[in-house]
Amino acid sequence: MKALLRWRWTPWVALALAAAFPMFASVLDAQYLVRVGGIIGLFMLLGLGLNFTLGYAGLFDLGFIAFYAIGAYTTAIAMRAGVPAPLALGISVIVAVAFRALLGLTILRLRGDYLAVVTMGFGEIARLTINNLDSLTNGPKGLQLAPWRPLSFVSADPNTQYYLLILGAVALGCIASNRLEDSRVGRAWIAIREDEIAARLSGIPVRHYKLLAFTLSAAFAGLAGGLFAQWEQFVTPESFVFWESILVVSIVVLGGMGSIPGVLVGALVLVGFPPIMQWKLSSEWINYRYFFFGLILVLVTLFRPQGILPSSRREAELTS
Amino acid sequence: MTPKTAAAAGRVLLEVKDLAQHFGGLKAVDQVNLTIHEGEIVSVIGPNGAGKTTFFNVLTGVYPGTRGQILFNGQELRGMAGHDIVAVGVARTFQNIRLFSHMTALENVMVGRHTRTSQFLLGPLLRTNNFKIEEKAVETIAKDLLEFVGLKSLGNELAKNLPYGAQRKLEIARALASEPKLLILDEPTAGMNPTESQDLVALVRKVRERGVTVLLIEHQMRVVMDISDRVFVFDYGVKIAEGKPKEVVANARVIEAYLGKEGAS
Amino acid sequence: MLIQQIVNGLTLGAIYSLIALGYTLVYGILTMINFAHSEVLMLGAFMALGLAALLPAVFGTGLVGLAGMFILSMAGAGLINVIIERLAYRPLRHISRLAPLISAIGVSIILQNGVFLWVSTQSLRFPEPVVIDQVQVFGATVSTLQIIILAAALILMGLLHFFVEHTKLGKAMRACSDDIQTAGLMGINSDYIIALTFFVGGALGGAAGVLYGMNYGSIKYNLGFLPGAKAFTAAVLGGIGNIRGAVLGGFILGFLEVLASGYIPNGAQWRDVIAFTVLIIVLLVRPSGLLGEKIAEKV
Repeated sequence: MKALLRWRWTPWVALALAAAFPMFASVLDAQYLVRVGGIIGLFMLLGLGLNFTLGYAGLFDLGFIAFYAIGAYTTAIAMRAGVPAPLALGISVIVAVAFRALLGLTILRLRGDYLAVVTMGFGEIARLTINNLDSLTNGPKGLQLAPWRPLSFVSADPNTQYYLLILGAVALGCIASNRLEDSRVGRAWIAIREDEIAARLSGIPVRHYKLLAFTLSAAFAGLAGGLFAQWEQFVTPESFVFWESILVVSIVVLGGMGSIPGVLVGALVLVGFPPIMQWKLSSEWINYRYFFFGLILVLVTLFRPQGILPSSRREAELTS
Repeated sequence: MTPKTAAAAGRVLLEVKDLAQHFGGLKAVDQVNLTIHEGEIVSVIGPNGAGKTTFFNVLTGVYPGTRGQILFNGQELRGMAGHDIVAVGVARTFQNIRLFSHMTALENVMVGRHTRTSQFLLGPLLRTNNFKIEEKAVETIAKDLLEFVGLKSLGNELAKNLPYGAQRKLEIARALASEPKLLILDEPTAGMNPTESQDLVALVRKVRERGVTVLLIEHQMRVVMDISDRVFVFDYGVKIAEGKPKEVVANARVIEAYLGKEGAS
Repeated sequence: MLIQQIVNGLTLGAIYSLIALGYTLVYGILTMINFAHSEVLMLGAFMALGLAALLPAVFGTGLVGLAGMFILSMAGAGLINVIIERLAYRPLRHISRLAPLISAIGVSIILQNGVFLWVSTQSLRFPEPVVIDQVQVFGATVSTLQIIILAAALILMGLLHFFVEHTKLGKAMRACSDDIQTAGLMGINSDYIIALTFFVGGALGGAAGVLYGMNYGSIKYNLGFLPGAKAFTAAVLGGIGNIRGAVLGGFILGFLEVLASGYIPNGAQWRDVIAFTVLIIVLLVRPSGLLGEKIAEKV
């Protein structure tokens, strides 16, 4: 398994297989899985994003989904106002990043656990504001969007089109994360995570780099939110509750903090599990899927706290 | 050449004027005046709790200082952020080792290079030529520094797995990566046996030969006598004596500080 | 009207304070956020319901029945909290800061869904052991229920204060809260004290659950989440780890919510946002919370 991870063609093979997946699915009459794959992909994007904040910089964020929501609603509002879809996506990223930067400037000097509460608080503020600001967001009734189907030449099925778009975004996200990790910026983040004071006194402007990690995360979330909105053609506050933030945290922690393959596998397992259970099991078992999800969380943490695919550094941290 | 008579050595590098750090009513450091010249190796000694580390913390921006001036090459350091002070040319090690435990020795030193490098986001994301050139340079310099401090073969070891003496040397290598003009060492020989201490003394001399001025807190008197051009003595937050090592050791007030009134008589 | 709001604020604040105390006690000793605390409070409410349903003659009527239901539910909630600590947190304590948190989240999901699957997906009516009356106090209509809630909460807080400040075990708890390693070196069995802390914290949470059920008349599997989240922010507001802070934060939050509902147009909708907004504002000005300590790191 380790050897497979080190082989330099593994990511490309995986990418090719993933791109071909919709073809396999239609052959096996499992189109539902393409949709599941798309959702998993969105959470891979979210996980990659949170990985900067939590996995690299070590900042405990419990309200990340708020920026997914901001991305989704910005896209919805923009497209309803006539903005073309690709531009709307770009605007969503910018808006999400802007809000995140503002939040970061305000709260990043707080101690770890206080930061956790405040991010949770902001997540709730965002959701409740979206819920209550009827004039802008139509509140709980949600907003409808017109369809954007850019990949119609590949497939008529919107699920397949968005699966592929999301896959592309995930691939870019992985490349970006990998390249940043292996650079002066990545080293600075990990140094900050290891020992903030030593990092500062080694010449790293800690506050700037925390803000950078914090803000970069939102770019991923904003993009994911925009894609989600365009795919579903419908946004409602119910998609952005606190537990979704917890899910993304779990993906990063259980996948293996700071490990890109780990985050991907984490999303695959944690997000794929309930819908696949739903698909495969009889209806009475469907109700048990969240119960088992909780059980998985506890058991994986108890027996493999370093995560499913930890980075070698993380493995060293937790198994000494 | 390495001048042993300090005051005539080089120009003034660091000038501390009337520096104080008070914590509420506690005067941890008070009315400190001193000067350090380029090329010197200066030791700060004094009983435990004398304010030596606090003084270093004010110099390096960990504490803001309550009053006074710190002029480094004429530039006021008080009020500057810690990372900016490193950029200006002052680097340090810590009393209790503060390495990045789960990074390798090489990575630790590479982090130290941060202020002398400039690639930010576009370079790594687009893998530009400038980025690749800088990364290679950082790695090369880090390897050279590891060799300089005597850790050549340990580059890929995790910092936390290194033996104690090696960890202290690694901290020095990391500090040197920022090309400081002034290197501040906080008890570099703490916990070392005589052989290791000798090793470190030799290293400090090598550092001075590279053109770096060294200021250190030291408890081992043999080291102090061996290596220092000048010595400052602190007690209860105040500088009570300064001068060449032999002078200071014979100073009655210094003896009293260490041994009490009876010891002095 | 203002008197009315004050009474309402006190009642809500009392409940929040009890929950907040549960969070702060555990945080003080382990620097850990017990995410499952909101489910413990929910279970306290369900246990009271269960007792009243199983033994209506004993627990269903009268002040004695009420007290019995109360005490047993508290003990049950405390015990559950201890079990959770033993099974899901203790093995992870030395591994990392985040591992117990993720485990706590998992436990929370398990408990919530457990009740959903095996007790009821719907709201259940909460028993009324005592006949509720209305009393006039300074022109405001106060229900005896509110008086009971306030009295119960104050009694419990008083007992906690006495326990922590004037008993040997309480002193041990404070020592562990301060510096658990040194406390261990002084001969205090820290595992035991940790278990005790979880018991006390859980019991207070359970009490809050019962009071919550009494106040709103019905309980549901997910009743813990929102009060738990808000009480947690109240604990942080007061300075997490600080017992007085938790009480202060709880009451401040209760008042703010009631006043916001009463006086801000559409206040009821924005009521939940108040808690979090106030928290952010306070932490901007006092980053360690109102009564929290600034912990400087030695360099």
